[in-house]
Amino acid sequence: MNQNGKMFLYFSQLVNIDVVDKEEKHIGSLYDVIVGQSEIAVYPKATHLIIAKGLFNRRYAVVPWGLVKERTKHSIEINLSSKEVKFDIPVNNREKLVLKRDILDQQVVDISNHNVIRVNDIHLLIVERDLMLAHVDIGARGFIRRLGFEKIVDTIVRLFNEKAIYLNKEKLISWKHIQPLSINPVSKTIKVDVSQRQLNDIHPADLSEIMLNLDHKHRLALFRTLDLDTKSEIFSLLDFPEQKSLLDDLSYKETLEIISNMPSDKAVDLLDELPKESVNKMLSVMETPKAKKLSTLLGYKSESAGGLMTTEFFALPQQMTVGEALAMIKMDDSKPESMQYLYIVDEKGQLLGATNLRRLISLDPKENILKAKFRNNIFIYPTDSVKEIAVLMEKYKINVIPVVNEEKILQGIITVDDILDHLISIAWRRWRKKNPAI
Amino acid sequence: MKNKFIRYWKSILIFFAIMGPGIITANVDNDAGGIATYSVCGAHFGYKLLWSFIPIVIALIVIQEMCSRMAVVTGKGLADLIREEFGVKITFYSMIILILANFGNTMAEFAGIAASAELLGMNKFILVPLCAWFVWFLILKGNYKSVEKVFLAACVFYVSYIISGFIVTPDWKAVGTNIIKPSIEFNRPYLFMLIGVIGTTIAPWMQFYQQAAVVEKEIKIKDYAFNRLDVIIGAFIVNIVAIFIIIVCAETLYVNGIHISTAADAAKSLRPLAGNYCYLLFAIGLLNASLFAASILPLSTAYTVCEGMGWELGVNKKFREAPQFYWLYSVIILIGAISVLIPGVNFVKVMLISQVANGILLPFVLILMLLLINRKRLMGEHTNSPIYNIITWAVIVIMILLSAGLVYTSFSH
Repeated sequence: MNQNGKMFLYFSQLVNIDVVDKEEKHIGSLYDVIVGQSEIAVYPKATHLIIAKGLFNRRYAVVPWGLVKERTKHSIEINLSSKEVKFDIPVNNREKLVLKRDILDQQVVDISNHNVIRVNDIHLLIVERDLMLAHVDIGARGFIRRLGFEKIVDTIVRLFNEKAIYLNKEKLISWKHIQPLSINPVSKTIKVDVSQRQLNDIHPADLSEIMLNLDHKHRLALFRTLDLDTKSEIFSLLDFPEQKSLLDDLSYKETLEIISNMPSDKAVDLLDELPKESVNKMLSVMETPKAKKLSTLLGYKSESAGGLMTTEFFALPQQMTVGEALAMIKMDDSKPESMQYLYIVDEKGQLLGATNLRRLISLDPKENILKAKFRNNIFIYPTDSVKEIAVLMEKYKINVIPVVNEEKILQGIITVDDILDHLISIAWRRWRKKNPAI
Repeated sequence: MKNKFIRYWKSILIFFAIMGPGIITANVDNDAGGIATYSVCGAHFGYKLLWSFIPIVIALIVIQEMCSRMAVVTGKGLADLIREEFGVKITFYSMIILILANFGNTMAEFAGIAASAELLGMNKFILVPLCAWFVWFLILKGNYKSVEKVFLAACVFYVSYIISGFIVTPDWKAVGTNIIKPSIEFNRPYLFMLIGVIGTTIAPWMQFYQQAAVVEKEIKIKDYAFNRLDVIIGAFIVNIVAIFIIIVCAETLYVNGIHISTAADAAKSLRPLAGNYCYLLFAIGLLNASLFAASILPLSTAYTVCEGMGWELGVNKKFREAPQFYWLYSVIILIGAISVLIPGVNFVKVMLISQVANGILLPFVLILMLLLINRKRLMGEHTNSPIYNIITWAVIVIMILLSAGLVYTSFSH
């Protein structure tokens, strides 16, 4: 095991061992280890050890890991005299990540497999003097080791099968893929290590799935840890009961931020379910253009085009050249739900036609964009039903359709996924009618 | 005036939304083991143990309230908390205790089913496997939530004890004095009965079940007062029913010197109300109580154990994803059902002994709960008040002393 000064050790083999001073006098026992950011790798390094002494009147001392002189199987020797170790540290409410309280036996997120797991043991890597957090152990063997039965069980298993999978295959997950869930007592967010800002990299759909597996305290803390865009995206993916449960815990300011940042169709779906008074209050403090949009959308019936549409779309003024249009698209940092189609409008905002990127690219940049326009100018009115939208989409084989008002001014767009659940439920109802017996 | 009225209605609505965990736990608490224990208590000891119910109500409210509070404040189940705070060893052994106790309880439920089969003139070799299959299937494939209401509705059965309690015209003055004035004896049958009565009313599984149910409801701390009311109502329901079962059995069986050795003896207590239909009434009531508890106990055990051990769990997982969960759940039902079909098993004894085991195992769970709820890091400002700690420690000490006394009297003659 001991090659090139590198070796592995389980936290359960380290915790509770004796700590002695430089004269080998007993000071206390190892209670916990504080870990921090390491410069070299993604693996956090032990920065301090917490020593405990006393049985009933338990007191704790924190000593930098650098002072560890020697570590044997049964004790740790530190480079201090026992008088220099001050047992006056309150262990509670530390903001730092500590192994025993924050990781061992706790639930953590396995980012690579998108699920929530419980840690049975911690696998540490020793490189010369440093102790690094390498893996978490979630296997049965780790559990049995903690129970103190590893040797007995190993012997019994070996009796039956020398090559049992149990003996050789540890269930270790690399720390790179682990997100601990312990909550920072001050900021109420999940403690995130600098090296693992990975939460925001998980797809929001997977994140929302993970969140459903957590209790509501951790769900809230995890949610608060994310950036605003991810928050809004997750919110758009959740069903109303789950949204409501989160909303109850979020502050007014947080709620407002999220709703303002959500695509307007999703925001309206949510606002539609909330009590009227609080919606009015929210709209009154929101930025005016957004609030105006939302309150117009709220006025439409939810199964009409107006209720389904989103007001985030890409409109190009008719006098633009193709080159100007492409430059404008490149510059834009807002994120309309769909960039599949771009809409050409006149000065009043009336819809003249649609185009797409492929058409624009294939034209000479000096041409006017009207050249890129599709032959048919297809649109619907806010009062049109889901069925009418579906018929048009099917007929012209398009998956985005613009919505205009009576003056033909462009109001919003509907993408096929906005109406998909409505279509499925219509199809389902029809199928039920035909097959009532099932 | 109008505002006050609206506020009043609003709080009633909130209460109904939050209500449930306490009252459901209470009704499951009156299971086969409960009915058998209270019946035997009334038939063999008359009013002698009635005094224990005032301390039991207080202890039950205090203990169940602690569970709800932990659930609301931490958002975690009891097994989760035990694992996270005390580590693998304590979790492992407390899960073994819970599995043993709940094996006993599940056996008691199937004993209740077998006993009602006999009363209904049905073959227990058909009814017990049928019910085991029903319970297993209901949870895994069916919709438990909709059936729960049927079970709850059928709990009106307990009303027949309350009505009977008035029909038999007991000496209310004697009932009152016996509730207030303790009459303590130190002999094996008395201690056995007392531990059984406490163990069936404050069973270890209830704490795990109640805490999980409150966590699932995601009740917020601001609505917690309603949750507390739910617990109190639940505690009163269990104990009022228990007291009436004891009164009825005391007035019909104890005064005539009838000992309960089979369920038919216990059913006779309902004769003043139902005449010769008393067997039918008792059998149906017992069957419902047993089925209700049998649907909850194995599932709650499997949930709790998997939670503590960190195994995948939940009926929405596939067998391959959560094998331990399904194995545990199925084996508890299977062994519970098979063991009561062994020829010569006395059902009343099975029901009684399992409840005594509950009582003996209770202090272990309570000690862990007390240690958890007094941790400031977990509970913040919601740790126990001194009076709560005193009451719970008292229950712990008393249960340990009673169990020691039971062991002592069993070997001393």
